[in-house]
Amino acid sequence: MVPTGTEETVCRLVREYSDMLLRLACTRLSSVSDAEDAVQEVFLRLLAAPVSFRDAGHERAWLIRATLHRASDIRRQAEKRNLPLEEAAWQEAPEPEPDLLQAVQALPEKYGAVIHLHYYEGYSIKEIGTLLGLSAATVGTRLARGRERLRKMLKEEIR
Amino acid sequence: MNWNDYRKAVDAIPFSADFQERTEELVHRTAQIAEIEKECDTMKKRGFYRVLAIAAAVAMFTVSAYAASRWLSPAQVAELHGDPALSQAFERENAVRIGQTVQTDDLAVTLAGLVSGENLSGWTSQADQARTYAVMILESLDGTPLDMEDFPITDYTFTPLVAGFTPWSVNNWTLDAGVSLLEQDGVIYCLLDTQSVEMFADHTVYLAFYQGRVPSRDTFTMAEDGTIAFAERFEGPHALFTLPLDESKADPAAVERFMEDSGFEREWFTTVGADDGITYTTRETDTPDGKHIEIVPDEGQNAKP
Repeated sequence: MVPTGTEETVCRLVREYSDMLLRLACTRLSSVSDAEDAVQEVFLRLLAAPVSFRDAGHERAWLIRATLHRASDIRRQAEKRNLPLEEAAWQEAPEPEPDLLQAVQALPEKYGAVIHLHYYEGYSIKEIGTLLGLSAATVGTRLARGRERLRKMLKEEIR
Repeated sequence: MNWNDYRKAVDAIPFSADFQERTEELVHRTAQIAEIEKECDTMKKRGFYRVLAIAAAVAMFTVSAYAASRWLSPAQVAELHGDPALSQAFERENAVRIGQTVQTDDLAVTLAGLVSGENLSGWTSQADQARTYAVMILESLDGTPLDMEDFPITDYTFTPLVAGFTPWSVNNWTLDAGVSLLEQDGVIYCLLDTQSVEMFADHTVYLAFYQGRVPSRDTFTMAEDGTIAFAERFEGPHALFTLPLDESKADPAAVERFMEDSGFEREWFTTVGADDGITYTTRETDTPDGKHIEIVPDEGQNAKP
């Protein structure tokens, strides 16, 4: 068991996981400062409410899920205040067409997260299943559907 | 366009160069504030126990009242987890206070309360998904304080189960659940956060606690009428609570979507089947149409026809 809740442990997690979690948060948030806020809040949560991690894998999975949840919450709050950044908005917008990162950000969370973890972080389908608490079959389906949505949004195949 | 373009775009995101430094400083300051607050809480609590001692002397309270005052309430547990929104949710009318205790081996396991709904938590709410939160309390029966550093909490599982659905198909893992832990005064408080179980409210919904990991035939049985129970041969601390859900909240369409999204056959959810003793592995193969996934028996084993 890896205890959290101490300043020393949380600072280690900050050094070890910040870069990966910031990139992941950016699959949900187009604002860099919002992404940084989301990741900081996840680290601070560990200080306020320690979680007992079984091992490094459990630690990584918890951080990834908490970051996605927090980033989605921030995004939803922003969407209530502003125009939606959903896929439909891209489909209706005449010009310009989004680049690939913007298109991934416009995907629903369940597709964007698996696309990013697979194509940027290099995790296998099975590993993503473990990280997100999903079956490998579900991850495979989400990857395929996410790619298909990107193809429609960008009007071209991504190789 | 290719995935290298995506990787380059992500690498070009202009994150603050001093993000780690600023965050570590923030952690440091927050830890200092928490330390001060903890000292204040300790002082308040000492006063509280003195009040209890006086009450005990005149025998003016019941055992259940004692238990209620001895433990943190579900709202307090959520507050200490840094989730004031959830804390408020546990105080609302639709939250259920249970306070049911099972003694098992040398542990007392108490289901304190639960609440279900959308947007209840400031941490894990998702716009399109309702969640259920439950607080369970673990204590040592002989009065020995439980310490998260020593108590092997990760050897234990808290999981929802649903009558009529096999324990290996509807559980902590498939419901995207997690448990956050908090230890105070020798008591361990477990805050379970799971996809809402209210959609199953027209079935009996359980909350199980047991020593072990993923639910299996060695742990649970499911009778023909769908009732779930611990297997007779199961050893180790265990408890099974029935959740008092409002049947009108059942959502069979959501249950259908849950099964469909899982990618598994319907039979896997509803039929126990014969125990073939076979273990399985997932294999992934790249094809022109994407990944092909097979779940196959481990090497040297053959599935029965």
